[in-house]
This record gives sequence, C-alpha cells and structure tokens, in this order.
Amino acid sequence: MDYAAQTAVFLLAQFPKLLAGFLITVGISAAAIPLALALGLALLAPRMAKSRPVRSATVGYVDLMRNTPLLVQIYLIYFGLPVLGFFPSEFTCGVAGIALQHGAFLVETYRAGIESISERQREAARAIGMNRFTAFRLVILPQAMMRILGPLGNQLIVLIKDTSLVSAIGVAELTMTGKVIIERSAASVEIFVAVALFYLVLTSVLGAAFRLIEHRVAERI
Amino acid sequence: MFNVLLGNLPYLLQGALVTLWLSVAVVGLGTLLGVGMGILATTRSRVAQTVVTGYIFVLRGIPVLVVMFLGYYAFPAFGLRVNIYVAVGLAQIVYLGAFVAEITRSAILSIPAGQIAAARSLGMRRPAILRQVILPQATRIAIAPLLNSALTAVKQTSYASVVGVWELTYAAREIVERTLAAFQIFIGVMAIYFLICYPLSLAARWSENRLSFSH
Repeated sequence: MDYAAQTAVFLLAQFPKLLAGFLITVGISAAAIPLALALGLALLAPRMAKSRPVRSATVGYVDLMRNTPLLVQIYLIYFGLPVLGFFPSEFTCGVAGIALQHGAFLVETYRAGIESISERQREAARAIGMNRFTAFRLVILPQAMMRILGPLGNQLIVLIKDTSLVSAIGVAELTMTGKVIIERSAASVEIFVAVALFYLVLTSVLGAAFRLIEHRVAERI
Repeated sequence: MFNVLLGNLPYLLQGALVTLWLSVAVVGLGTLLGVGMGILATTRSRVAQTVVTGYIFVLRGIPVLVVMFLGYYAFPAFGLRVNIYVAVGLAQIVYLGAFVAEITRSAILSIPAGQIAAARSLGMRRPAILRQVILPQATRIAIAPLLNSALTAVKQTSYASVVGVWELTYAAREIVERTLAAFQIFIGVMAIYFLICYPLSLAARWSENRLSFSH
C-alpha cells in the first residue's frame, strides 16, 4: 500500500478512540462553560461595587488569574488539594481550574460591555421615572448584551482550547488520546493533525453559532 | 512552612531564566512573523490574502498545546533532528504569529479608505502610503492588543513543559515530585510568573487607555 492509503486506514482504525477523547473534551467544556459564565456574573457586582475594598479584592483576583498560567493553576489545585486532605478527581480539578480562570476573564468582558453604554442613557432612563434596577434591565442590559456577544464567543473558544491542558493531569481527553495513540504507533504527525482537525471543527462551530446569534439579536434590537 | 520554597528558589530561578529567554524569543519572532503576514494580507494579491486568512483561521482554532506537539513530532517525521527548544519554540512562534497577523490586518483595515485615496491623489506611491500614512496610525491601534497577545504567549511558554521542555513549570514539577510540597512550590511559581507578566499587563492597560483614539 502507498503512504496515503496506509495513513487513511490507520487513522480510520484510530477514529473511535479519537472520537471518545473528543467527547470528553466536549464534556469538560460543557461543564466548565456554565461555571465560568456564572462565576463571571457573580463577580460582576463586587467588581463594580462602590465600596473600594470589595472592588480591590475582585480586581486582585482577576489580576492574579490573568497574570499566571492556567497550567500552574491547574497543578496547584490538582497537586495542592490532596495536601489539605481533599481528593477531587482529575476531571473535577481540570474543570475547576478552567472555570476559575475564565470566570476572571468573563467578568471583565461583561463589565466592558456594560460600561460601553453611555452614562446619559442611564440618566435619561432615571429621569423618566425608572428605578435603577428597571433602567439596568430595560435600557442598559439589552444594549450591553449586544456588545458582549462578540468578545464572549471569542473567550469561550479560548476556553475550549484550554481544555487541552487537562491532559497534563491525566484526563483522557482529545490531546491525551492523541499522545497515547502515538506512544503505541509510529504515525505521530498524522495523529496530531487529526486531533487538530477535531478541535478546529469544535471551535469553528461555536464561532459560527455566536455569529448567528449576534445577527439574530441585532435584527431584534 | 515556606522553607522548602526558599531552599529550592535558586533552581526555580534558573527555570525562570529559561522561561524569560523563551518568552523573549517567542514574542520577538512571533510578533515579527505576524506583522509581516498581517501586512501581506492587506496587499492586493489574492493568493497572499487567501494564504494568510487560512493560516489565521486554522491556527486560531486549535490549542497551542496541540501545535507544540505537532512541532515536537514534525521534525523527526521528516528525518530531522532538532533541539526541543527550537522545535517547540518554532511551534509557539507560528501560533503567536497567527494572532498577531489578525491584529495587524484589522488595525490596517481600520484606517479609513479616504485617507489612502487622499494620499494617492497627492501622488504618493503604495510603499510610501504604507510607511507614512497607514503604519503610524495602525501601530497606535495595534499596540494594546499586541501587548495582550505577548502576555498570553509568555504564559503559554509554561505549556511547553507538558511536551518536555525544561523551564520554570517543569522545574517546579521536578521539585514537587521530590518534596511533595505542592502548595508552597506552585504558589511560589505563580508569584514568579506574576512578577514577569504583571508589567506587561500594566503596559497593555496603560496603552488601552492612553493610545486608543477616543470615540
């Protein structure tokens, strides 16, 4: 058999394993995305609070997350918690690390969207008798959502790509699966090209979905 | 409790030095590659546009760790023996290049077409327009996102440890395997990364506020 045919047969034989790894990658993303979105939302009020200590503490957390590598954060959770007597699974540690990091990025995304809406709109809404909550809900939030969607989609794509780091603590997701297959065969580059394609499909589908949502929302407003 | 960190600090600082060198090389060469590709994407050549667009799309859609593995395995597959720092470093340069190319391209395209028409009507040629009209303004727009992409690249040098590159994070794992002092060592390592990254972060924030055109 020539090289192309051999490679095709080999990759087809490995496809079920890669697919299983891919599904775990999807699982990690599906677990981490809602947690990161929620953490970002939870941090939004303290991040924009009037009280300076509250605000500084939140900024401190965000800066710590932004200026240290996610891999080291995951190691700290995975190797550090057993020292304290907790033994969460590799999957849990990975999801927690990713959510803690991306929650910090998302709160800044949300805040930038909200602050991009002019102060005058808030004042106008208050002047026609809306209370602060109503003004936020009916005037600020819908417009901010529109501006947040683009950066939010980008951030979630980064999150999906970051799930590959969980391979470093031994979760059998897509990248790990690729590594394991290579250790037992010689076709190393081909396997990682296939792994890359799986990621590319996942991230471009999410990217396309976000562009679609953006268009739909833009039509409504 | 943090004696173990103090005792191993010299070893960690050696690792930090490697991280710094790797960062300087990756950010320098990756930015250079990306700016070149970004400018190429704004030329009239259809081929150049398609190639750069494809490059940006593919690289931005896959994890840097996977690109590092590809760099690691690609050279031996073609019968080449390359130092692991070069192989994984090149992978990171190519990866950062894609992000920088997109930043450069969109910064150049954000210059209003009217300015280019005006420059042409004054008799300026394309290279002169690029040098004197487009790039000075585009640089101002691109500087904050470029600093942010550099920050990301510095943090991503730690992922090279997964492929087997000895740097700060790898050194930390060695120490933790020996001493089991995961908390102290990884917190210390986070502090070292913070010291490297925070100035970049501050520079990015400063340029976002000062250099961006106010709307």
